Amino acid sequence: MTTQLTTPTRQHEIEAVEQSRRGIWPGFNGQAGKRWTARSRRDFLVFLALALPNLALIFVFTYWPLINNIYYSTLDWTLGSPSATVVGLDNYVTFFTSDDAGKVLGTTLTFTAVTVGGSMVLGLLLALALNAKVRGTTLARSAVFAPYVLSGVGVGLVWLFIFDPGYGVLSWILRGVGLSSPQWINDPQLALVMVMIVYVWKNLGYCAVVFLAGLQSLPRDVMEAAALDGAGTVRRFLSVSLPLLSPTTFFLLITTMLSSLQAFDLIRIMTPLGNGTSTLIYEAYLQAFGAFNRAGYSASISVVLFALLLIITVFQIRFVEKKVHYS
Amino acid sequence: MSSTFDRRGFLALAGLGASAAALAACAGPSTGGPAAVATNDSIDFSGVKPAAKIDFWTNHPGKSQDVEKAIIEKFQAKFPDIKVNLVTAGSNYEEIAQKFQTSQAAKSGLPGLVVLSDVWWFRYFINGSIIPLDGLVKQLDIKVDDFQKSLVQDYQYDGKQWALPYGRSTPLFYYNKDHFAAAGLPDRAPATWQEFAEWAPKLKASSGAQYAYLYPALAGYAGWTLQNNLWGWGGGWSKGWDITCDSTESVAALQWAQDSIFKDGWAGVSSKEAADDFAAGVTSTTISSTGSLLGVLKSAKFNVGVGFLPGGPAVASGVCPTGGAGLGIPSGISKEEQLAAATFLKFMTEPENTAQFSAATGYMPSRVSADMTAVLAKTPQIKTAMDQLPATKVQDNARVFLPGADQEMAKAAAKILTQKGDVKETMTELRKTLEGIYTKDVQPKLKK
Repeated sequence: MTTQLTTPTRQHEIEAVEQSRRGIWPGFNGQAGKRWTARSRRDFLVFLALALPNLALIFVFTYWPLINNIYYSTLDWTLGSPSATVVGLDNYVTFFTSDDAGKVLGTTLTFTAVTVGGSMVLGLLLALALNAKVRGTTLARSAVFAPYVLSGVGVGLVWLFIFDPGYGVLSWILRGVGLSSPQWINDPQLALVMVMIVYVWKNLGYCAVVFLAGLQSLPRDVMEAAALDGAGTVRRFLSVSLPLLSPTTFFLLITTMLSSLQAFDLIRIMTPLGNGTSTLIYEAYLQAFGAFNRAGYSASISVVLFALLLIITVFQIRFVEKKVHYS
Repeated sequence: MSSTFDRRGFLALAGLGASAAALAACAGPSTGGPAAVATNDSIDFSGVKPAAKIDFWTNHPGKSQDVEKAIIEKFQAKFPDIKVNLVTAGSNYEEIAQKFQTSQAAKSGLPGLVVLSDVWWFRYFINGSIIPLDGLVKQLDIKVDDFQKSLVQDYQYDGKQWALPYGRSTPLFYYNKDHFAAAGLPDRAPATWQEFAEWAPKLKASSGAQYAYLYPALAGYAGWTLQNNLWGWGGGWSKGWDITCDSTESVAALQWAQDSIFKDGWAGVSSKEAADDFAAGVTSTTISSTGSLLGVLKSAKFNVGVGFLPGGPAVASGVCPTGGAGLGIPSGISKEEQLAAATFLKFMTEPENTAQFSAATGYMPSRVSADMTAVLAKTPQIKTAMDQLPATKVQDNARVFLPGADQEMAKAAAKILTQKGDVKETMTELRKTLEGIYTKDVQPKLKK
């Protein structure tokens, strides 16, 4: 609301805010179809100067490829070939009627569920440990977070050396106690387990740090009140901390799920053939840029992934967020 | 419409952005343009002046970066007007192919000369991505007759020459001479797999190595080396365009391989690179490319022996496939660049340069007239690879001509050799997959 004491400039700013709240373009004088003032034109130009470079980048590198990709998904196109045939929805029909769809979706589901669940649960446990007021927590926090910022390629190579059944560190330890090493790399099921272990190891530091920030911002009075009412540590955690952490949990659920569904570097380095580890995004890569060169078919798998990510995000925001306490 | 940007808005946007990024990452270039037709007419290069600069895309097969550099330096001294830029375009044949196909689709950044493997050149031919070399061979007087016949014939199709041999190899049987001596075995490779089955328990008992024999890494080129087992039992991946991987003979060959791991317990499967495992002492024997020879000789701390691939119960000799890479020239570059590339290609495959390349890597010299005396005096093991050449056999169509077949074969082999999958069932599934690839990706593009 305006007051008599506001200066003309201040008045203008307040009107602009009011207009923007009502969904009217900031800078425009508010009367649809009427004249632009010199000031509003200038504001609009400033807005364009600031926003256009970013919008152009987003359009060129994100939305244009996205639109193109949807178009490619309707083609029978061999990568490298100058010609392609329009086949409509054939690529989708092929994908969903082949054995691949079940395998790839199953692998994607397993990988996402285990890595999201694993990173979040272990991250929360680590955050609880790091939240304790003992010596050395700063060092421990850095150590926990470090894998997250390391290159996936480097992490993959080092862990491959650990898992190698021939001369890896793990096989050396197992041989020491009279056991033979499992075929981590050649066995498709174990390969998936191996990649999931490394992925969780690399990413749980992120969850731990975000949970730690959440834990440290919990209102102390509520915790004290619960303690006064006789609630024990476990009870306080389950009935007070956990519900109050729900915005953090919800945020992590969305972000880790999105990155798990897009996990690529570790899978590419540790299991280049995708034997047992072909998630949707890796299958899309293999089909186009691996040995098959089926660019159109690959594009259709990318569109399936796109749709899946959209559905998951909308579902989470519509339904899961209702369970979140924001205060 | 509210203009406030709340958590919900942020998360929704993050979701949309991530989804879009997932798609963007997979998008490719435009598909406009004429239909893919392989150029069948010889290109006329008369009056064309070679370009001043070309890129040479290679993965440095057999750790050949230094020798490639040395040969390029010699070329620059002889042809100062053509600058050759050595580009590491990948760490293996597949990565080079990925880069080449992507540049082909983007219609930019193509090299003058590219390394192409046995399983890739045919696809480039189908897509019209490489030119026939016949016109250039004539113009530059490249002595095709002096190349090893079987190696040069690998790149002939439709009456044209589509590439020339470069880092050409065969698999070799590598054995640890010290382990053989300790087990009281003769200092030679086994003549057949049956003979080796008798040796293996003795080797395992006396050597202290984890395995008597290590099957090559399935994620590598399992389809290549397993042809030896299949052919030895009278089977194969295919006969002509008929897929025969589930024939009685093929199934028997792979059943024997599975038994050597799970029943007899003397064999294992490499996880990454069998030659490295062998050099590290993990196994007493393995099969690996001739291109690994110099690397193994350098890193192994024991006496290394090499021999021909063993035969099987049905076929005792001539069960070794050829392999490795050749050099091709892209169609999407100017005639000037193509001529410059061919000039370099001719130089690269001159007898003395192929001998130099062979000495540094272990690959076979591709020219008959290459003087290998000095090379063999230093590395006599290379002679085994050269002597094996007359006993080699052209690879099965299914492996080299069906896109992605090699990977499907590797997956099937993984199921059999690491998960103890039912051999017949796995091979029947593989046959269906390979037939599907043929029907969809190859048959429509073949000339009647």
